[in-house]
Amino acid sequence: MVVETMTIEVAQASAVGFKAIGAGLAVGLTGMGTGLAQFGIGAAAVGATAENKEMFGLALLFTVIPETIVIFGLVVALLLLF
Amino acid sequence: MSSVSTTGPAPYIYSSTRMRVRKMKLIRHEEYMRMLNMSLPEITRSIEETEYKAEIDELSSSFSGLDLIEVALTWNLAKEFQNVLGIMPGVIKNFTASYLQHWDIYNVLTILRGKTQGVRAGKIKEVLIPAGSLDRVVLDRLLAEDSPERIVEALSSWSLYPVLEREFPAAMEKGTFGDLENELFKEFYRYVLKQTKSGVKGGKPFRDYLKLEIDLLNIKTVIRLYKGNAHVDVRNLMVEGGGFSVDELARLAASESMNEILEGIKKRYPEGPINELMEKADQSMPLHEMENALTKVMLDQMDRISRRYPFSICPTLVYLKRKRYEVANLRAIARGKESGLPGETIAEFLVV
Repeated sequence: MVVETMTIEVAQASAVGFKAIGAGLAVGLTGMGTGLAQFGIGAAAVGATAENKEMFGLALLFTVIPETIVIFGLVVALLLLF
Repeated sequence: MSSVSTTGPAPYIYSSTRMRVRKMKLIRHEEYMRMLNMSLPEITRSIEETEYKAEIDELSSSFSGLDLIEVALTWNLAKEFQNVLGIMPGVIKNFTASYLQHWDIYNVLTILRGKTQGVRAGKIKEVLIPAGSLDRVVLDRLLAEDSPERIVEALSSWSLYPVLEREFPAAMEKGTFGDLENELFKEFYRYVLKQTKSGVKGGKPFRDYLKLEIDLLNIKTVIRLYKGNAHVDVRNLMVEGGGFSVDELARLAASESMNEILEGIKKRYPEGPINELMEKADQSMPLHEMENALTKVMLDQMDRISRRYPFSICPTLVYLKRKRYEVANLRAIARGKESGLPGETIAEFLVV
């Protein structure tokens, strides 16, 4: 029976790979979260702006608030990678 | 528009928000009260400052005084309803369109009544509200026909034509269109109730609301018949589909006193705003006050449902109803002022 042992190089390469997967998941999943949050706000914002042009600034502000979620994800991803 | 998504919750959120903003722009109670102290030209100017500006400006060269207000309100109502229909996406559009069909009934009957009484086509056109499936072009074509029979023939593609065709000969024989109107509305409610099951979001709560609307319509008829001392068979006058069965309504209508009718209604609605109204109401309450109070209850109930289901078909329908009553209120104020009625009397007729 042959027992495979992991060399230091392989372990290091795996760690980098898992970090990359983690970073990808952090950005990807938070991006989906942001999208889910934004679609409702976005639909309402477009509706409100169509009726009242003055609402545009406020509507835009509300629409971008869920962006914070994906920014947190991005920060986590950057911390993981660097 | 085919690329726009018409499924999922986004269309409901979009349309509900638009309708909510529009509802906020409707004339408020204080403004009505201020209008009651104004003269007719002042009221016209005041209306011009609101959503009716375009119509007043456009029509001010051809009309004046009460006519100007009347025609501007009618035009605005039709334009607004068509506009709402235009911005509704997907399944909401179909549902809104079927709900707006009651304007078709109103228009067809107005034309038939006008034509049988020899009113000029131009005069009839002023009061038509082309907000349903029969648009201006179709209505113009109907107005150009000479006889009521030809008008009915021209409506062969209308969804309510089978009822119209069935009831029209009897109506012509009798010379009144009351029964025909009843039958058309019965069919309309049957159709809309069926539509609420078509998968539209908010269909279920809306069905409950429709039941209430039908109930209140029937209650109003019963009370009107009682107050008018009319002893007729009420079964044909009642709309089916509400909380009361036709038999129950017939029993209510056969009541000896007003209190008996109120008790019967209270039994069906042991709590809530209708019960409260029935508690307050008594023999002496005038008919118009009672009717107004019932309408207010209906609108409040609809508001409640639309708050409970904020992203459904309900906010759209609430707006359509409120807009209709806004126009009715403005018309009541304008007409009341023209006839020299005091402000307090006009206020009793407003639904605010």
